[in-house]
Order: sequence, then structure tokens, then C-alpha cells
Amino acid sequence: MKCRRCSELAQVRLPSHHTGFCASCFETYFLRQVERGIHEHKQFSKEDRLLLAVSGGKDSLGLLLALSKLEYDVTALHIDLGIPVSSQSARSTVEAYCAAHSIKLHVLETTEKGLPIPEVKKRVNRPICSVCGKIKRHWFNRFAYENGYNVLATGHNLDDEVARLFANTLRWDQAYLAGQGPVSPAEGRFVRKVKPLCRLTEYETAVWCFLNGIEHVLAACPYSAGASFTGHKKLLADLEERSPGMKMQFYEHFLQRGKPAFQAIRAEAPPLNECARCGYPSSMEVCGVCRIKEQLEA
Amino acid sequence: MVRVLIESTGEQREFRALKSVTQLLNRLGLKSTEVLVIRGRELLTPDRMIGHEGDIRIRHVVSRG
Repeated sequence: MKCRRCSELAQVRLPSHHTGFCASCFETYFLRQVERGIHEHKQFSKEDRLLLAVSGGKDSLGLLLALSKLEYDVTALHIDLGIPVSSQSARSTVEAYCAAHSIKLHVLETTEKGLPIPEVKKRVNRPICSVCGKIKRHWFNRFAYENGYNVLATGHNLDDEVARLFANTLRWDQAYLAGQGPVSPAEGRFVRKVKPLCRLTEYETAVWCFLNGIEHVLAACPYSAGASFTGHKKLLADLEERSPGMKMQFYEHFLQRGKPAFQAIRAEAPPLNECARCGYPSSMEVCGVCRIKEQLEA
Repeated sequence: MVRVLIESTGEQREFRALKSVTQLLNRLGLKSTEVLVIRGRELLTPDRMIGHEGDIRIRHVVSRG
């Protein structure tokens, strides 16, 4: 197979684009897709102060490199979950990467915030991935808000977005469907949230990391076995193999035609409250994270 | 002999000969967009020939939490 742009030997085949690229042309393609996702959805500009949530996996580290190459003002935030071995490995991977590339990094430890994830897992009788995700989202937003970052970026890619859309659609969850997309606008103490990799698949981000020599965490989180999103991704991968481009089409058509309908339905929804404990937005009197903390302190 | 390391499990497989990457993926029951097929410092597309010897690594791309 030859590269579509320069006719050199291809290293990457992209069935959804009916094409293939050599390493050098793939770099151009990848950065253009990131830029296109940012501009098409008006995610942010070079004037914004951008905080990137970095786990140590391929998507967040790959995005950190792409945003640096595109000369955005980006700072990394890593959350150390306190999970033995796994969290130490992730943290040292992120620290080494940021030190090697002179990227400003903040590390926040959930243990210091009264929320060590192994303890949360023991005490909370709900799927740990959902609880851990809630804690991370809370602290990513809170750190950005309290430290003057007006945009919070995450490494969610097209596969993540499509798997989430699929799960939300299976439940016809109007609130989540109204809010899903590559940009969540700032509101009160919520900073703007963006997903610059929304046009790129996991395969493409993995290729990007390999070709750029990014040493990312390969091991799965020891607590993630049986997560429902992994099963959904397998189903969607089967569909994509039969109909290349289906994932992008499903997502883009939802953003154009589906999301506005759900937003209209949700327009009358009551506004969020301020959590009585931490002051951050919540649909209840006390937010989910403060309730978990209280459960641990009881 | 073609030696294949599946990074996610650490499993090592050996094949006397493999015609192409597509044949390797079929033998392993994998889709071309769910793994990287790595030989040295290069990635192999499904149409690439493999032959009778070499070392290949298979890296799954799906995030698992």
C-alpha cells in the first residue's frame, strides 16, 4: 500500500477514509484533524488558558504532544488516584513525559482530598469506574476554576464519544444526550470543557503515539474489568468493519440533527444548585463527590 | 520462524511462515484497526508480506480504563 499524499510505502491504513499514509504524511493528517475538530466546534483559541487532563494513557499524552506542536498554551493536570502500582506507574509516566518536553504539570492526589480510590471502592456500593469518573471530573473542573484556566481539555477520542453516545441512546437519556458533544460551555463554576480528539479514533491516536515515540501507560486500570464501555466499543468496531466511516457518521449526524432536539426538550430543566458543602454545581443539595467523602468519613 | 508477541497479555506465538499481515490477523482473530502490528520501528499495513522469519509485536489500541 502506498501513501496517498507522497506515494511512499504506507505505514497506516485508514479504511474509514479509503486511504493510507506514510509516517510523515500521517503526522500532517493527524494535526489537521485535531485543528479541524477544534475550529469546527469552536472549542478554544490560542488566547485561552488551557488545562489538559492527563492520565498517562495514549490519548491524553498524544493530545498533549499535538497541542504543543500546534502551539497552544497548554498545562497538564494529572490526578493520582492512590491505586497501588497502577497510579504510581501512571504518575511517573506523566512526570517523565512533561519533564522531557518542558511542559508545565500539576499533580493532584485524591488521597489528600480525602478520596483514596481503593478506600472509595471498598465503601461505595456502585460500579467503581462511574464513581472514580465522577471524582476525577469534579477535581479537574475545580482545579481549572480555582487556578484561572478557562478551558479544560480531555483526551476523549471518537471511539469514546461514539461508545458514550451509544450508551446514552440505549437508555434514551435526554439530559446526557442534550449535553454530549465536543464542547460543554462554561456555566457558573463549570469551566468550558472540550475534546480536541473528537475526529480521531483510538487506532489513530495509538499510531500517533507510536510514530512519535511516546511512552504511555499500556496496562489497564486494575479496577476496570467488565466496564460496559469496553463491550460497547467491541460492538461498534464490528459495525465499523462492515461499514467503514459509520462511527463518524453516527456522531456527526447526532451533533447536527439529534442533539438540538434533546437540547430543546431540556431547555425547561431546572438550573443546577450550588453544593451546600463545596459550592460547585449539583442537581442535589450536596454534590455526589461530597456525599462520597461524607460516606468515607462516617 | 516468525515470533509474535502480544503485548497486552505477554503471550508469545510462533509461526513457521506467514504470507501477510492479514493472514497473521486472521490467525489471531483480530481486526486491522484494533491493533498496531509493529516490526522494529515501523508499522505494517495489512497487505505487507511477512515471510519465514522476524519478530512482530501486537499492540491493542482500545483503552481499557
